[in-house]
Formats: sequence, structure tokens, C-alpha cells
Amino acid sequence: MSAKTLTFTLNGELTRVVVEPSDMLVDVLRDKLNLIGVKKGCGKGECGACTVIMNGDAVNSCLIPALKAEGAVVETVEGIGGPGKYHPLQESFMDLGAIQCGFCTPGMIMSAKALLDKNDQPTREEIREAIAGNICRCTGYVKIEKAVSAAAEKIREGK
Amino acid sequence: MKNYSVVGKSVRRLDAEEKATGKAVFSSDFTLPGMLYGKVLRSPYAHARIVSIDTTEAEKLPGVKAVITYKNTPRELFNTSATMTFTVPAQKPVLDQYIFDNVVRYVGDEVAAVAAISEKVAEEALQLIKVEYEELPAVFDPLEAMKPEAPDIHANCKEGKNIIGEIIKISMGDVEKGFKECDHVIEKTFKLPIVKQVQMETQAAVAQVEVNGKITVWSTTQTPHPTRMILGKIFGVPVSKIRVLNPPYVGGGFGVRIGLSAKAEPIAVALAMQAGKPVRVVYSREEDFMASDTRHGGYVTVKLGAKKDGTFHALDLKAVLNGGAYCSFSTETPGVLGAMGLAVYRVPNQSYYGHSVYTNVIPAGAMRGFGNPQAMFPIESVVDMMAEEVGLDPLELRLKNIMRAGDPWCLPYPCQSTGLAECIERGAKSIGWERRGSLNQPGAKKLRGIGVGVGTHVSNSWPFCVDYDNAIVTIQQDGSIHLASGVPDIGTGTSTVLPQLAAEVLGVRLEEVSLAFGDTQSTPFDIGSHASRTLYAAGTAVVAAAEDVRKQLLEYAGNFLKVSPERLDIKDSVIYITGQELVEDCAGTGLCNTGEGRRSVTLQELAYHAHLRNKQFIGVGRIVPENAPPWHAHFAEVEVDTETGQVKVIKVAAAHDVGKAINPAIVEGQIEGGVLMGVGYALSEEILHDAKGRPLHNSLHKYMLPTAEDVPEIDAIVVEAEDPSGPFGAKGVGETGLVPTAGAIANAVYNATGVRFYEIPLTQEKVFRALKAAKNSKNSTS
Repeated sequence: MSAKTLTFTLNGELTRVVVEPSDMLVDVLRDKLNLIGVKKGCGKGECGACTVIMNGDAVNSCLIPALKAEGAVVETVEGIGGPGKYHPLQESFMDLGAIQCGFCTPGMIMSAKALLDKNDQPTREEIREAIAGNICRCTGYVKIEKAVSAAAEKIREGK
Repeated sequence: MKNYSVVGKSVRRLDAEEKATGKAVFSSDFTLPGMLYGKVLRSPYAHARIVSIDTTEAEKLPGVKAVITYKNTPRELFNTSATMTFTVPAQKPVLDQYIFDNVVRYVGDEVAAVAAISEKVAEEALQLIKVEYEELPAVFDPLEAMKPEAPDIHANCKEGKNIIGEIIKISMGDVEKGFKECDHVIEKTFKLPIVKQVQMETQAAVAQVEVNGKITVWSTTQTPHPTRMILGKIFGVPVSKIRVLNPPYVGGGFGVRIGLSAKAEPIAVALAMQAGKPVRVVYSREEDFMASDTRHGGYVTVKLGAKKDGTFHALDLKAVLNGGAYCSFSTETPGVLGAMGLAVYRVPNQSYYGHSVYTNVIPAGAMRGFGNPQAMFPIESVVDMMAEEVGLDPLELRLKNIMRAGDPWCLPYPCQSTGLAECIERGAKSIGWERRGSLNQPGAKKLRGIGVGVGTHVSNSWPFCVDYDNAIVTIQQDGSIHLASGVPDIGTGTSTVLPQLAAEVLGVRLEEVSLAFGDTQSTPFDIGSHASRTLYAAGTAVVAAAEDVRKQLLEYAGNFLKVSPERLDIKDSVIYITGQELVEDCAGTGLCNTGEGRRSVTLQELAYHAHLRNKQFIGVGRIVPENAPPWHAHFAEVEVDTETGQVKVIKVAAAHDVGKAINPAIVEGQIEGGVLMGVGYALSEEILHDAKGRPLHNSLHKYMLPTAEDVPEIDAIVVEAEDPSGPFGAKGVGETGLVPTAGAIANAVYNATGVRFYEIPLTQEKVFRALKAAKNSKNSTS
């Protein structure tokens, strides 16, 4: 099987990249497009560190063959905000102590964003369900849950 | 209480922005031009001799640049843990492994490694390596391994069959006589599981070997400076030619990389030497599970004696731990288990005897709590049993017997502070201890219970291990401040709290301080981030360095302002004469002339004034830390489904005496994370092996750690019994959240069901069977 050109919208920009049919989306994002915010913690869809949003849903990019992203809209943590215009989730993760080692943080934020994009009044259970596939070993999830809840409130106020 | 401007404030972490935007660089992200990818061939057998190994086909595969085995790598014995660099004489570190050997001793043991142009090619090449093994008898349980008929896993076990290093013995008073004087004696043996740190970033290293022989390694180590010493020994290279650093972030540690990151560093270096190109080695999650240190499982026996009124009079502990196939921290862990286990209660007659044993399973090493959780689940269970036997409330019995500041204990440093009584009082209030005993309606299928567990820990590893710190504070020519400390930030907030300490001492805003950390080239030697020591010990060096440079600044400023330095103070980067009001905020202006002679000078102006006169202010902190006990009391409320055996933790009230909390939000985060890890230890986490020694739990799906949906209500309560030995009175907090949790939960399960467990984790199956057995025996006797 030969290399193919993948065309998709990545963080708002039309992106073309040559990939092997066996490449997984996580490796293309990390190794070919240098988006190291997409972390790789297991490669088997068990830790959630590689979570990105594809066509509105949070997915484990290590389980998605890269060519499945053809024509898709993909968002990574790098595309949601930065200095001067942080996403409310990034703000509340930073302000409420929801970050420790930081390895799970990008995937955690993306899972939470997929939730809040659809539902800005999530219950505690909905927040927990949304991030249940994202393993964090540092925080005990307490401050993460609070940060997601606080971001939802900020988003509601901003509307 | 003193008013501080930076210390004691929950400031936003200085690494938060990089981490929240995906910009933070970890070892597994790090790349270099021309970099190759390393992969490791691992043993499928628990114990075997390699009869032959043929790598010719692998070498021929296009894209393969190096293949290494025991035949072409250094034959230098080492220990993957930093113990090989910090064992205190006359004890000697156990050195029992090579990068590769011709004998493999556990499933996952390293056999060979390949460097290739991609991970895929490297993996393909591994399949082409032909290895012929001769299987040897294997043993997996430490008690079995001590029997005469068990296979010898290593030569030179001086203390007994397969016993690793030295047997640890601690004693105070006369324990034999003590037990004779007791009215109540309870003795029970407990079984502890092998569990895993499961830090989110797997073991990883990138190695570069320059033409002149200089080696640079970016890795996940918690201890760059000791790791450099280990690599120097393995490769016979002067440590001055080796640089080890974090890039700079590390995806968690929990003890798994105190020293080498399993064997990621030496394998990457050996491959890079062979290939002449940089090599990155990143463990897969499965490799991390099967070939990187675990927590020691094993057996702990507690014998506790008390007088009629409940006063503890004699305590004897014994531990036999499963050290696995190679020695990591297998002599220190039983040491801490005994020392911490004996230090919680005032018991005049006490003794401990403990050691680790070689077996053919994955090596056990350091994990958060370092032996202490293995001590406290058994001890706190027996203390609860004693409360029932003497007829006292478990809290009353504990309050009667806990250590007080100044009491004699078995540790080689004084107990100068304890907030344990306050921890117990505040935790009990949070959980509603008074509800205990009236939680359940008759006939209920789901039973509630409340239990408690208490304990202590260390704030560094001195005097058990070599433990010292250096720090350098340099005032730059523009008055900004550069701090250098050799400790990594493994997620615990080191790179925020060390600058907080320096900023407080120097009277500057936090933003003025930038930190170099986790790098042997830009920082002075430091023993590293472990043992709950980083803030307490490295922080003490930072405070010393900052005080040193502050003194120099005030002396120079005294000359400049023509007053005695004692009259000067610093606030917001302005050195001013105390007792006089500042008429304006001079910060940053470089001008503070008030018209009646200079009353103040900014650091910016002073530093540049000095620079033009050939002077820079450099503060040096060189310290050997004392040690101080953090204390904690956890209260757990559980609900046990008697029909399914499922235990649900409803709430944990976790009260911790941490001394001064330098950054309270970070302290809470440490406690909350530790509590949840402790819930996993109590209820679900365990690595079991099949009859051939193959691990049954080697992925995140199989290894049952708590997820966001398993989090109970956690009330992190911070008690601040400041210790005179710590920076601003701080003590350690990194490990303690895990220490008492399993004991508190097991005691709560007993309170709910009346069934006592002598083994964790309290899995649904285990609890179901025990409840059924209890019911049957009740029926048969009634």
C-alpha cells in the first residue's frame, strides 16, 4: 500500500499531509504536524491522553486511522486558545489547580470541550462521564471536575 | 502568624500556561535531527538461560542502525535505582544487573534492543532476532522463594536464601518483656498486593553521544544528578562529560524513576553509541507495566500489646516483601516500612524485622509512600481490633497513644512537631464520626460504615540515605533573579513553589524569579525529587541561597544609601530604609530620589550599579536537611453492597499536618491525588501473575485504577503545625495522601459489615466471598 495525501481541517486551517495507510491519527498529528499537545499514553485507547475533537466528538486519536480523518474537522488543544485568548477551560484548569504533571491535561481539556460545546449546563455526572476515559494519576480528578464546572459557568455567562 | 506576600498563597502554577496549551515538552515528545527509535526485546520466560542469540537477520533489515545484546554492551553491574549513589556507609548498595545478561529472571526482562529509522522498523527487527532459551525453575512468592528447594535467583545473598541485601532490624526497649507485661495482645498477618505507579508518561529517554564522547540524555528521571552518576559507572565515562536533564517536564513519577527510568537511559545511550546517532526509547504502556518498578507486595505481621486501659506497651512488626527479580529499593523499602510503622504511636517496647526477597516477577522499587502504606493498612487494622478488645472508641484509643512532640521514638532525629491530634479532631468532625454505629437500618442490604487510619512519614530521606541539596540565586545585571536547583518538577509544583520561597526571602514579586531545574548542566548537585523532600529539602537550600544573596544586597545597598544594612528591607524589588515611608512606588523606575537623600534603591539600579563596578550578587545554599514528620488522619465512609460485595467509598476526610503550606492549592492537589491512589490500593489495584509468571494486569483496561467516575467526596483538610526545620515551617506532603487510606477504608468496611480483611485489594469478589463465609459460619453456629 502506498502513501496517500490526507486533506482535512485542522484547528481551523485546511491541512494536507502525506500519510501511510497504516498511520494512526495520533502519530500524524504528533510526528508529521508537530502537535505535541496530543499526548500518547498507551496507544490503545485506554488512557485518553491523545483525545482530539473530530467532527464535534471527542475521540482517541490513537484508535483512528489517519485516513479516516479525510475531509474531517479536527481540533487539538493547540487550536482552542492561547495567551491573550485562552479558552475558558484552559483558564479554569490553570486557575483552579487542575493541572499537575500536565500529561493528561490536553486530552482532558478536549474531552471536556466536546462536552461543553454541546452542553454548557452539565451535571456532575455528565462531567464525570465525559472525562471517565481520560486517566489522570496526579489530581484525584477533584480540581479537574471543579474546573470543568467553572468553565461551563464562564461559557454560560459569556453568552 | 507572620504575614507573607508570596508564601502561603495559592498562586497559579508557573508551568500552567505551557501545560494547558499543549506546548509543554516531555521526554516522549523530544526529537533531535537524525534521531532513531529504539525498541526492546523482552523475555517471554520467568527464568531462563539464553543458550544462543542470533541477530544477523535483524541487522540486515533496511533501516536498522544498531542491535545490542549482552555480547556488545558493558558488563558493569548496577542498580536501576538511585540507591547505588546514595546508600550510606557502612551499608553497601546491591548491584545485581547488567543492561543485558545471558540469564533472564522475569517475564519482561531485557534480552536485546534495536535502533532503527522508525518504531515500526525497530519492532519488525525485534521479530528477526533468534533466541534459544533453556528454561530454569522459577518462584514467584517471597515465602516460597526463601525455602531451601527454591531456585537461587542471584548469587551472594548473604543473609539467607534469596534475601536481598541486609535484613533491617529496629528495636527500642525490651519487646519480649513488654509483651509479658500486657493485658491484651493481638497478632495478625496481612497480605499486600503488587501495585503500579501508572504515571501517565511511560518511561522514556533520548540519548545523544557526541564525537568527542560527551553524552546528553533527556529523560523522565526524578533524579538527574544521581542518574548521571549511574550512567557514568555503567559506561565508564567521567560524570563531567555526561549531562542528564528533563526536557523539562515529566509526566508523573510516584517513585517509578528515582534513578533510571527503568532501563530507558542506558539502553538509549548504548544504542546511540552503537549507531552514532541520537536514539529515543519510549516504553509502551505494556512495557511500563511489565518491566518498570512496582510497589512491593508481600506479608506484614503486626503484634500489638496493650495494658487494660488501652495504653500501648509493646509492638512487634515483621515484613517479608516481594522484591522481584532485581534489587531496586529493596533494602530501603522494608526499612521505611519498619521505621514509619513504629513511629506513629508511643510504645516503649518495640521491634522490627524486615527484608525483601528475590522472586521471578517484575522488580519492586519505590512508589509513593515507600513501604509506609504497606505498614499502615496492617497496623491501623490491628489498632482498630485492639480498640474493640479493650472496649474503647477507636479515636479515643488513638488519641491516647499517638506520638507527641518531644516523645522518644525509634527514628534518628527528634519529633519536633505534630498536628496529629488536630488532624484527628478535624477529620472526625468532617466525616461525622458521631454518626458511627447508627448508620444502618436493620435488614438493610447496603451497609454503611466509617473507619479511620492515621500515620506519619518523612520529609526527606536523611539520615536513611545520602540526602543533600544545593541552590544558587544569581541577581542578574537588570535586577531580575535567576534561581538554579537540580530537582525536577514531576508534577508536584516544584517549579512554582521554589520560586515562591526565593521571592519571599528576597522581597520581590514571583514573576521576577526564573528557575533552572532538572538539569545537571545548569544546576548544582541535588539528590532529586522523591521522599516528599523536594519542597522541604531543596526548598531549604533555596532559602539559604536567597538569604545569602539578600545579605550581600543589603550590605551593598547600605554603602549605597549610607545606612547600616540592618535598617534595610526589601519590598517589591525596592530596598528601602525601614521606619520611613516610601513616597512613591519606585519599582522599575530606577529613580527613587525623594529630595532629602536617598531612602531607597531598586534592585535594578543596584544590580547595574554593582555591574559597572565589576560585581555580581550570587547567593549559594548548601544544606544537609534535617527531617520532620508530616502527620495525617483519614476518615472513610463506605457503603458495602452485601448482595454483590461491592464497596463504594462515599467520602474521605483527609486531614494532613503539612507544616506551613507554601501553596495551599498545590498541597490540596497532592492530598486529593494521594487519596484516590489510596482508594485504588484499598479496593481494586493489583498485578497478579499466572503459573508461568506472566503478568495478568499489563494494560490500563486490565489494571483497575480509579477513574473520574470512582471519585468519592474528598475533603482535604490542611493542618499547619509548623516544623522549625523546614522552609517557613513546611514539611513533606507528596506521599502522605496514600499512606492511611487503605487502613481507613478497611476499618470502615469492618464497621459496616463486621468482617475483618487481612488482605487488600477489597475486590468485589473477595468481599462477596468473605461476607458469604461469615454468614455461613454464623448460620452454622447459631
